[in-house]
Amino acid sequence: MGYLNSILILGGINVLAVVGVAVLTGYTGLFTIGHAAFMAIGGYTAAVLVVKLGQPFWLALVAAGVAAALSSLIVGYPTLRSKLKGDYFAIAMLGFGEAVRLILNNTYAVINGAIGFTGIPLLTTSTLVIILDIGGIILIRNFVISQYGKNCVAIREQEVAAELMGIDVMKTKLWALGISAFYAGVAGGLFAFYMTYLAPSMFTSSKSSDLLAGVVFGGINSITGPVLAAFFLVVLPELLRFLFVWRLVIYGLLFVIIMIFRPQGLLGYRDINWASLKQLLARFNGGRRPSQAVTREGGR
Amino acid sequence: MAEVVLATRDLSVQFGGLKAVNRVNLTVERGDLVGLIGPNGAGKTTIFNLITGAIAPTEGEIIFRGRQIGGKRPDILARMGISRTFQNIRLFPQMSVLENVAIGLHSVPKYTIIEALFRLPRAVRSDREVNRKALEHLARVGLADHWADKAGSLPYGLQRKLEIARALAASPELLLLDEPAAGMNNEECQGFITFLRQLHRETGLTIVLIEHHMNVVMDLCPRIYVLNLGEVLAEGDPREIQNNPSVIKAYLGERRRTASA
Amino acid sequence: MVLFLQQLVTGLSIGGIYALLAVGYALIFSIFDFTNWAFGSLMMVGAYGGFFAISAFHLPFWWGIVFALIVAAAVSLFVEVVAYRPLRHRGAPRLFLMVTAMGVDIFLTNLAVVLIGGSFRPFPGITKQGVVHVGAVNVGQLDLIAAIISLLALLALWYFIERTKPGLAIRAASYDTTTAGLMGINVSSVAFIVFGISGAISAVAGTFFGIKYAVWPYLGSISNKAFISSVIGGLGSLPGAVLGGIVLGVLETMVSGYISSTYRDLFAFSLLVLTLLFMPYGLMGKKVQEKI
Repeated sequence: MGYLNSILILGGINVLAVVGVAVLTGYTGLFTIGHAAFMAIGGYTAAVLVVKLGQPFWLALVAAGVAAALSSLIVGYPTLRSKLKGDYFAIAMLGFGEAVRLILNNTYAVINGAIGFTGIPLLTTSTLVIILDIGGIILIRNFVISQYGKNCVAIREQEVAAELMGIDVMKTKLWALGISAFYAGVAGGLFAFYMTYLAPSMFTSSKSSDLLAGVVFGGINSITGPVLAAFFLVVLPELLRFLFVWRLVIYGLLFVIIMIFRPQGLLGYRDINWASLKQLLARFNGGRRPSQAVTREGGR
Repeated sequence: MAEVVLATRDLSVQFGGLKAVNRVNLTVERGDLVGLIGPNGAGKTTIFNLITGAIAPTEGEIIFRGRQIGGKRPDILARMGISRTFQNIRLFPQMSVLENVAIGLHSVPKYTIIEALFRLPRAVRSDREVNRKALEHLARVGLADHWADKAGSLPYGLQRKLEIARALAASPELLLLDEPAAGMNNEECQGFITFLRQLHRETGLTIVLIEHHMNVVMDLCPRIYVLNLGEVLAEGDPREIQNNPSVIKAYLGERRRTASA
Repeated sequence: MVLFLQQLVTGLSIGGIYALLAVGYALIFSIFDFTNWAFGSLMMVGAYGGFFAISAFHLPFWWGIVFALIVAAAVSLFVEVVAYRPLRHRGAPRLFLMVTAMGVDIFLTNLAVVLIGGSFRPFPGITKQGVVHVGAVNVGQLDLIAAIISLLALLALWYFIERTKPGLAIRAASYDTTTAGLMGINVSSVAFIVFGISGAISAVAGTFFGIKYAVWPYLGSISNKAFISSVIGGLGSLPGAVLGGIVLGVLETMVSGYISSTYRDLFAFSLLVLTLLFMPYGLMGKKVQEKI
């Protein structure tokens, strides 16, 4: 039971972080490496607030998200100007990840540097994770079908045209980055209060690769895909032990194979939603239904 | 006295040693349908890029509705009321036809991010309204039935129409069309001429049109600028342009070809 | 004063390696507008290639290095042909190419972790280096050799690109691959040459770092410095890459010597941010106009 519980919690935490990356990479098209840095910032912020400053857990989680989101400006502001290619952002994220780990490793005051921050109470429960997951997914879904989300997709599809149509590219990208960082930060907070121990070595490039894998496998332009992928990417390596050792090797290979053969991932450019299910049924019953766009939102 | 919507004064842009646009003076008044023609490489699209803010001029001015706009950011200019279509179609291929047009309506979101995240009533209403208006724009160009199709899956001619619908959805003060009839045969060109003429009549929009199909330009545009090697070669109505010796010379080969088409 | 010269000399030698690395990266970027994230793991491949050539196959030292070059170049070419080229030909969006490159990097790095093990290994066939005295300044033997090799390699590259026919093809392709192709340049051959050179460069740098520090699967993370150098010098510009590399190497070493060696990498990141804020196109910025 405890084992199942731990899988649920770890899977749920991964889902939260991955769903944030989905907004940034899947929907806005910004390739991110080093996203684990936001989890680290969130985790440490929450841990310090509770353990050293005696703040309530819920506040710590919010602060974790906010801290991560604010820190994302350090990377985002210089690199998300509209004329700069995505490579600048990726390079800066890489550097940022390293910088964060370097600072955490060498700050022995309060957080104990490379040795690690111990004594974090076990406050993350599976119920909490499930509630935050559900809430988080709903919020992201709302973002994605909103005008903000559509602008993000427009930027991904044709940045030049998007800007010439009036979209403030930098602001939109910063929103996407901020949201993804917030989610990673909260996930980091939940992580800290489950592991009861934090060390910078928990947030290496491997972790960032894990997050990216959730989106690559789950699919671009989809929420359901990454959610499922994120969960299974935690469960499968647990069930198949040998897989755990080889998992990153397999991920790397799969990245290449998926990009070449099925870049749209598990679910393609579609999300599982009622509308597409209805369309599927309609096709079985023959003929397409006439447009009733006026009453429907989203229009996919 | 009609309002001057767009004027350029000695507009120039230089890339390294090459002056792609050299002291160009254009004037476009409200409700005009102006043609911009010239051999390939004459600088026509570059002028569009200058007007829309994609590149900044190295000399000269661009004045839009009385304001200096040279070098301003493209999205700001779009919001000021300049819309364009592209030589190489730049739709959002994975988005639906309806979503493509809707971008023109909500490039600046009409509600706050909090309202978006929590799907508050104002957001829901706004989305519904945007979709309704987008569908109207689609109906006007005859694409309403395709609202749910992926933009990238449309046949070429319909993609061009969709680009125009998207540009129109932004309710522009100035519409720049970059070779909208490219790749069309004679029949399609005729259809396009009728379409654009009707559109212009109905909306009274100020339009500048780059085209290589001579019959389209001569038929539609009461006033035409001819560009060559980055400079304005001539300006006038279709008959003046067609009889202008330097224009004929600049076009020598190309004109013969389109005449026999 | 002596400390300053000392740091300057060390900085120049490490800057030379950074410059070489940055050129290896920029070569591909300038033509294909593409960041080869696998560049770092190629360094690692080269280092391990040399390592096994010398320790397992008992090749003499310099032959081991040659072997390293060949292995890394071969893997680089293999990856280009199998993973990158198909996507480029298909006109895949940049995001897909980045994911693929990252996939290669993750694959190679972790393959090494699983198959070889994550421990540090000293590079074989070379004992801890001595120190050379140049006037009042001491230079590590290795650093001196590295500086000389980088200089020679950069000169050779410069000559190749500026003065030979294949180099001309590379320069043409760096402006516009489509036009170059239409003008009769075999872009595939150019890709071959460029990925091969890039692989060889990564092997040189990889062996250097393997000798200076140790050989381990994450050796390639130093490639970050190549990316940062390129941004500082101007992404896509080869002279910029050289300049950026030297500037980064010297400044970094200065910070390391005068302030703290721990935060050397943090300084590199800060320099990156500052460059992007004030000079986004770098010192020799190549502002490429996208055709609209």
